[in-house]
Amino acid sequence: MAEAQAELFERVVMPHLNDAYTLARYLLHDEHDAQDVVQDAVLRAIRHIDGFRHGDARAWLLTIVRNCCYTWHKSHRRERSNVSLSDDSALMVADANTADDATIRASDGELIRAAVDRLPAELREVLVLRELNELSYREISEVVGVPMGTVMSRLSRAREKLAAVLGEGTRKAG
Amino acid sequence: MTCKECLDSLSALVDGELVADEAAAVRDHLATCDECAAQQAQLVEGTMRLKGALMRYEAPDVLKARIRASLARPEAEIVAAPRAVPFYRAMKWPTAIAAAAVVAVLSSAVTLSIANRNAAGDSLQQELLASHIRSLMPGHLTDVASNDQHNVKPWFNGRVDMSPTVPRLDSLGFPLIGGRIDYINGRSVPVIVYTRRQHVINVYSWPSNAVSDKAETAASHGYNLIRVPRDGEELWFVSDLNRAELDSFARLFTGKS
Repeated sequence: MAEAQAELFERVVMPHLNDAYTLARYLLHDEHDAQDVVQDAVLRAIRHIDGFRHGDARAWLLTIVRNCCYTWHKSHRRERSNVSLSDDSALMVADANTADDATIRASDGELIRAAVDRLPAELREVLVLRELNELSYREISEVVGVPMGTVMSRLSRAREKLAAVLGEGTRKAG
Repeated sequence: MTCKECLDSLSALVDGELVADEAAAVRDHLATCDECAAQQAQLVEGTMRLKGALMRYEAPDVLKARIRASLARPEAEIVAAPRAVPFYRAMKWPTAIAAAAVVAVLSSAVTLSIANRNAAGDSLQQELLASHIRSLMPGHLTDVASNDQHNVKPWFNGRVDMSPTVPRLDSLGFPLIGGRIDYINGRSVPVIVYTRRQHVINVYSWPSNAVSDKAETAASHGYNLIRVPRDGEELWFVSDLNRAELDSFARLFTGKS
């Protein structure tokens, strides 16, 4: 039994563990929380391995990781400030860095990462699933549990918000 | 196609998620509308920047080690069920020790073979083994997580009545993970945590007046325990790392080569 589970872990879960950990890092913002949640999620996944046998292992694992992240958020809401659900996309970092061009160039990556961190969770998760996990719209709709049309509109909104924050506010510029 | 319809479909177009005739309709519009075409160009550029800036994280070895350790024992897996985490965290120490003992008993594994076998020694080793197994469950490995000994060592000040040694061994392939306090042998003891590839090493230490200065080793179901007495203290190394490497780690840690 234990050996069969260990074998399943190596064969089915290990190839997608980086994807799972990356998603948890972006949803929880903390490496230790992400490790704890991914460990829980993997143990759950292995216990309920029958749930996926014929499906796509990666989407199935990411679904469980995502659900565990939200469960974790709920149970820790009182303990921590809830950054992820904040919809405040005004970035103070952006103001602080307009001082000189060198700073802006140097911190482009940081600026983008900070902007992604400030996205509402429902937009951030589709963005990460698309850009980092490289899932198709259909797979994202399975993981998040919403119709494909919703995936499409959330992804559009996520990109619009990022563009606005990063000074590419195209609609108002045009 | 209106501009609004076009803009609503741009993300899907860039992602290659439109079916052929939809994509063709959007492209037709883009060819005739400079404003929408500019939006598309910006979306493509923004997506490139985003992909360049966002990083993929690699699952750390210690996470893999914890998962493998949990899966190796069905009993441990039951205790590690998510609801058990707040339960464990909320427990007072005596309860935690009792629970640790339960873990130890549940792991039918605990048949320690040791040359100088005696009841007291056995129960100490069982405690250490239970502590090691429990440390691999979610949220239990470290109270202070840092790869810098200058963060880990001072953390123990005022928390335990001794100052543990925290050598830096990452250049030798044993990166520091952090430290925690555990309750072993009737006292609070500092535990320093290192890793070797995907194995966790727990180092326990406490003051001791034991006359025997002989190193002891024991093994149980894939775990190795090594005891090293040193200048009035007793050090224990516990890991699923193979004996030879744990031995060499113990020598590096104590500076006895």
